[in-house]
Amino acid sequence: MIHLSHITKTFGPTRAVDDVSLEVQRGEIVALAGENGAGKTTLMRIAAGEIDADGGTVNREGRAELVHQHFLLVDALTIAENLALTHLGFRFTTRRMIEREAREIIAGTGIELRDVSRRVSELSVGERSKLELIKAIARRPATLILDEPTSVLTPNETGELFAVMRRVAGEGTAVVFISHKLPEVLAVAQRVIVMRAGRVVAESAARDTNVQALANAMVVAQSPGLPVAGQLGDRVTGQPNIKAIVGVAGNGQSELAAKLRDEHREAGHIPEDRSRDGIVAELTIAENLALKAKRWNARDAARHAERMIALYSIRASGPLQRAGDLSGGNQQKVILARELDRRPPMIVAAEPTRGLDIAATRFVHEQLRAAAADGASILLITSDLNEAFALAGTIQVIYRGRLSEAMTPEEASRRVAALMAGVA
Amino acid sequence: MRRFGVAVLAAASAVLLLAFSGALFGHSPWSLLSILGSGSVGSRFALAGTLLKAVPLLLTGLSVVIAFRAGVWNIGGEGQFIVGGLAALVASRWGVVASLAAAMLAGAAWASIASAMRLWRNAPEVLTTILLNFTAIHLLGWSVNGPLREHAAQYPQTDPAGAALPVLGGVHAGIVLAVAASVFAWWLLYRTAEGLRLRATGFNPNAARWAGIRVGAQLARAMAISGAAAGLAGGVELLGVTHRLFERFAAGYGYSGIAVALLAQLHPLATIASALFFGALVTGAGELQRAANISAGLATFGQAVVILTLIVFENVRSRR
Repeated sequence: MIHLSHITKTFGPTRAVDDVSLEVQRGEIVALAGENGAGKTTLMRIAAGEIDADGGTVNREGRAELVHQHFLLVDALTIAENLALTHLGFRFTTRRMIEREAREIIAGTGIELRDVSRRVSELSVGERSKLELIKAIARRPATLILDEPTSVLTPNETGELFAVMRRVAGEGTAVVFISHKLPEVLAVAQRVIVMRAGRVVAESAARDTNVQALANAMVVAQSPGLPVAGQLGDRVTGQPNIKAIVGVAGNGQSELAAKLRDEHREAGHIPEDRSRDGIVAELTIAENLALKAKRWNARDAARHAERMIALYSIRASGPLQRAGDLSGGNQQKVILARELDRRPPMIVAAEPTRGLDIAATRFVHEQLRAAAADGASILLITSDLNEAFALAGTIQVIYRGRLSEAMTPEEASRRVAALMAGVA
Repeated sequence: MRRFGVAVLAAASAVLLLAFSGALFGHSPWSLLSILGSGSVGSRFALAGTLLKAVPLLLTGLSVVIAFRAGVWNIGGEGQFIVGGLAALVASRWGVVASLAAAMLAGAAWASIASAMRLWRNAPEVLTTILLNFTAIHLLGWSVNGPLREHAAQYPQTDPAGAALPVLGGVHAGIVLAVAASVFAWWLLYRTAEGLRLRATGFNPNAARWAGIRVGAQLARAMAISGAAAGLAGGVELLGVTHRLFERFAAGYGYSGIAVALLAQLHPLATIASALFFGALVTGAGELQRAANISAGLATFGQAVVILTLIVFENVRSRR
């Protein structure tokens, strides 16, 4: 359904996509794996016709829908109204008609999303991503491209998503799944393509490869052993002054983080939605890093930013690059540098590795561990259970705005599933 | 550089449209262009007129730059200008410095009414500042007909202010103040932590809040600084040009500040050039009225063309 040949694309000094050719057939699920900034999203935006390539040709049969990592929804409107924006032509209608049609559209996609009269601003991140998916699938695209769709989902929601992907592919749609969660890639895709630094570096049928081989292909320059907390299944003992709050998205995690932000201004805060709450896209890296500083002096700030870029290995052209031009993982590193570098006594990290690749995730985990070893008390709010078990010495479950008692990891491993589902 | 190009294009298209639409009244566009030119910068007298108009435009333009950079929509420059003039008049007996300080304080206080309503009841500034303009206009009307009316009680105007700005070569010293204010605004926005936080709040208030900025207080401060600049404009206009208050004292300077700021792409130093351009446009349009009998209201038309051109090109740019 999509045929790309010899695609190149350059942004300023960086070659984002460098002579890439690939093909996705009807009914096939292809995973596109790679580090943050490897060029996956750029390539798929070109494939979907959102941006033009500098060189190469794109052949597309039928419509291609790209579901973005960030949301393209109108917060002030309801679920039904958002669907009406993209799916209804210009005509007179009523709220009731819009809502009935919205329910039909949702039912047709087989995705569960209740109460279409809720405003998007009230939805959890997981529900928003479902709505984006519904919008895309309801248009019956010949090719469906999903950019890091699981990064905001709970394990259950991820399972639902995979079922949807398989069904859509079964109906003849070509599906491209951008991810760096390798176990997921192997679970759902038939073919895996690995990108690094703008090029395709590995391609294989999913049954002929494994997590270790893919991880090596993604980050070949780094150590081959690659023990990444959580992602590759190994369990590192949690640290006593890291406490994790786990739960299904939308059970009060965002409200808790916002309350802590307002009550503990001295603490370091890593917000869950980095493009909305973490980064000022229009300001430079240096300016973003200085937002919490008492003084501002352009030269000192640039020097500080250069140090942070080196220390946190932020992939950037320099301190004066616009933060909005960085990839998601590098934006997260900027936030981390700003929040952790002052060595705050307390750190509240909400979904700190959402959407990050293996290397960046490992880096974030190392930073949080180091801060904890340094004496900071860390509250990790996450929907990634592996992450919670990998880092925390104490685990609590949040369900419908209430926290469970604090548990040791051993106790939590027995009870957490039931507590998250609200059946314990 | 590209933004600069768009601004120049907007200004040029305003001038050309003015000249060619004047052709509808039976004049050749070239003669109208030459009248516009000579009437705004062609003689020492014309140049002084342009500078006199540019001074209040520069200060109200800066007022809008500061507010819009912070993301707070202060449309109340006109009202802040008026209360600035009123305060300057009342305080003028204590000298120029006290008078201008009073003007800034009054402008800041008047703008802060909108901030207070925002914090108290979440009332949008776009509405409250516009409504405060009408309040100020009527306050001025009542003052010049009542308590502040001149002793001769002949016209609805006040007695002359007790102080005046010194005059340097045909132009009052307010021009120095206004240019200094632009440099100050640039320093504030780009060289201080306050300015960094103000800009961050304007670009992304959510991220600003997560970075520990008290967004409500930040907006209130930006509003107060913005109001102070518009108030200062009113004080300078009183002490430098009109010396008395009367009902049409503000003459739309507060609103024109929005066009000045937008043409300057919200940059405080570019605002100097932008204010000079609009000052020349207004002065040149006055000459058009005298020499070619074309309404000076065309200057307002020119402002509209500038803003529309900017909006169209901004839009085209953001879609690429």
